Amino acid sequence: MLELKNIIFYAKDTETKEGDGNRRAIIDNISFTFEKGRFYAITGPNGSGKTTLAKLIMGINKVDEGKVLLNGQDITDIPITDRAKAGVAYSFQNPARFKGITCRDLISIAAKTNEELKIREIITRVGICSMDFLDKQVDSRLSGGEIKKIELATTIAQNPLLAIYDEPDTGIDLWTIEPMVRLLKREQSQHGTTTIVVSHNRHFLEAADVLIIIKEGRLYYTGDLNGATPILNDLSNCNYSDICEGEYNARCYR
Amino acid sequence: MLDAIDKELLKAVADLESLPKGAYNIRRNGKLLGREISANILIETNREGNGIIITIKPSTKGESIHIPVIVSQAGLHDVVYNTFIIGEDSDVTIVAGCGIHCGSSESQGHEGIHEFRIGKNAVMKYVEKHVALGEGKGRRILNPTTRVFLEDNARAEMELSQIGGVDSANRLNEAELGPSSSLIITERVLTDGNQTAVSRNEIILIGHGSKTNLVSRSVIKGDSSQNFYATLEARAKCFGHIECDAIIMDNGRNETIPSLKAFHPDAELTHEASIGKIATDQLVKLMSLGLTYEEAVNWIIKGFLS
Repeated sequence: MLELKNIIFYAKDTETKEGDGNRRAIIDNISFTFEKGRFYAITGPNGSGKTTLAKLIMGINKVDEGKVLLNGQDITDIPITDRAKAGVAYSFQNPARFKGITCRDLISIAAKTNEELKIREIITRVGICSMDFLDKQVDSRLSGGEIKKIELATTIAQNPLLAIYDEPDTGIDLWTIEPMVRLLKREQSQHGTTTIVVSHNRHFLEAADVLIIIKEGRLYYTGDLNGATPILNDLSNCNYSDICEGEYNARCYR
Repeated sequence: MLDAIDKELLKAVADLESLPKGAYNIRRNGKLLGREISANILIETNREGNGIIITIKPSTKGESIHIPVIVSQAGLHDVVYNTFIIGEDSDVTIVAGCGIHCGSSESQGHEGIHEFRIGKNAVMKYVEKHVALGEGKGRRILNPTTRVFLEDNARAEMELSQIGGVDSANRLNEAELGPSSSLIITERVLTDGNQTAVSRNEIILIGHGSKTNLVSRSVIKGDSSQNFYATLEARAKCFGHIECDAIIMDNGRNETIPSLKAFHPDAELTHEASIGKIATDQLVKLMSLGLTYEEAVNWIIKGFLS
């Protein structure tokens, strides 16, 4: 469904001139095929490249090398708008806030309809937003949790073939996380949505058909949760073990 | 009789398809075109003959007054002095505004000087739109002034907008707030080409418990410029806030200076100001919903000025 072929993305450091041989790859030669209708969780240490990979798929960042194929079509060079029209949707970790644009406006744009009934159907389908969200402005007055729910609604409203959720649980209260997982699973099963969730949250990892662990911009593991658990336990101890190499009494206060 | 241009301008400034219902006073090219009064709203020409006095009886509720101005005569610069006396305990809406239609190379303009005296416990909503249309090359100039005096517990909400077509605008808003009164001003201005707009705002919070919120939204396109100056002066325990945001596009220029003056220890005054391009995260979000770059920009601007 979605194929990543040897994709590389370099840091755009101002101090590092391109071509001087010192470019740092944030995504370093990743190849992977996401199959239609499956649920993937991408996880890994902070700064490992998870969000960057998700943004490369959406076209928010442009790959420096390699190819991105959607249902066999090369979308490597097509812009965000066209990827959205091709059925890729993206839910941002830190959603944009707008002065004067309401939740209803965003859902109407996403669903390409102004019909009140259809907009209400979407809110009902999402379930975690109440109807009075519709007329709220998506501005700084919304709480972190409220805006994340609206972000989720706008993603689902697109009826995407491929939905990417970057840290969907950020700012969400504990009581909403499980309903959110159920919602994404329901979208997967009822609409055949290929789902990619970038998360550290146990609930999303448990819900995934396939776990992908990224470390230092590379695929570190792909497989089920059982296989991933020892690696995740190890990674959760310390992200800097490579530096001190586990030296005893290294004065590490992390 | 309204001709096609009059109708176009009335639609643009006051959302009117024809003559309004209720009280109205329509001024065209410096002269009275039509007037209607009601049992509770009296409109009369002032003694100097250069404006009108609108008197609203105490306890008048739910009525509206339309006072649009049309300037379509080449070379005309119309100046009008209007006074509004809003009776105690009343609740009314005033729809004002000026539409210029320029069809020649001569400049045309309008200066509306509006004074509002809002009685105790009265509520006034004031909506003012400024629009300039036409194919002529003459400059279109609009210099409005509002002076608002709020008595005890009076409330005023003022929506002032100038969305396109005006070459030069020089606005002055002044207000004095009595005890427990409140004033909300929302100003929306869009300039393009070589247009310029300046807005000066002087609000004095005199009464104990008075409140004001001044919101300015500016969109500055092309080579245009907008300057926004706002001063809140607190002379009692009161609350005041200024929120001024400007979006700059192309080579637009903006100067924004909010100023707070507290002359009472219990005054609470705040301001927030921002000037900048459209935020990238906003554009990317809307494009990720399938909008093109241009469509995303239009949505953001439309929302910002709504």
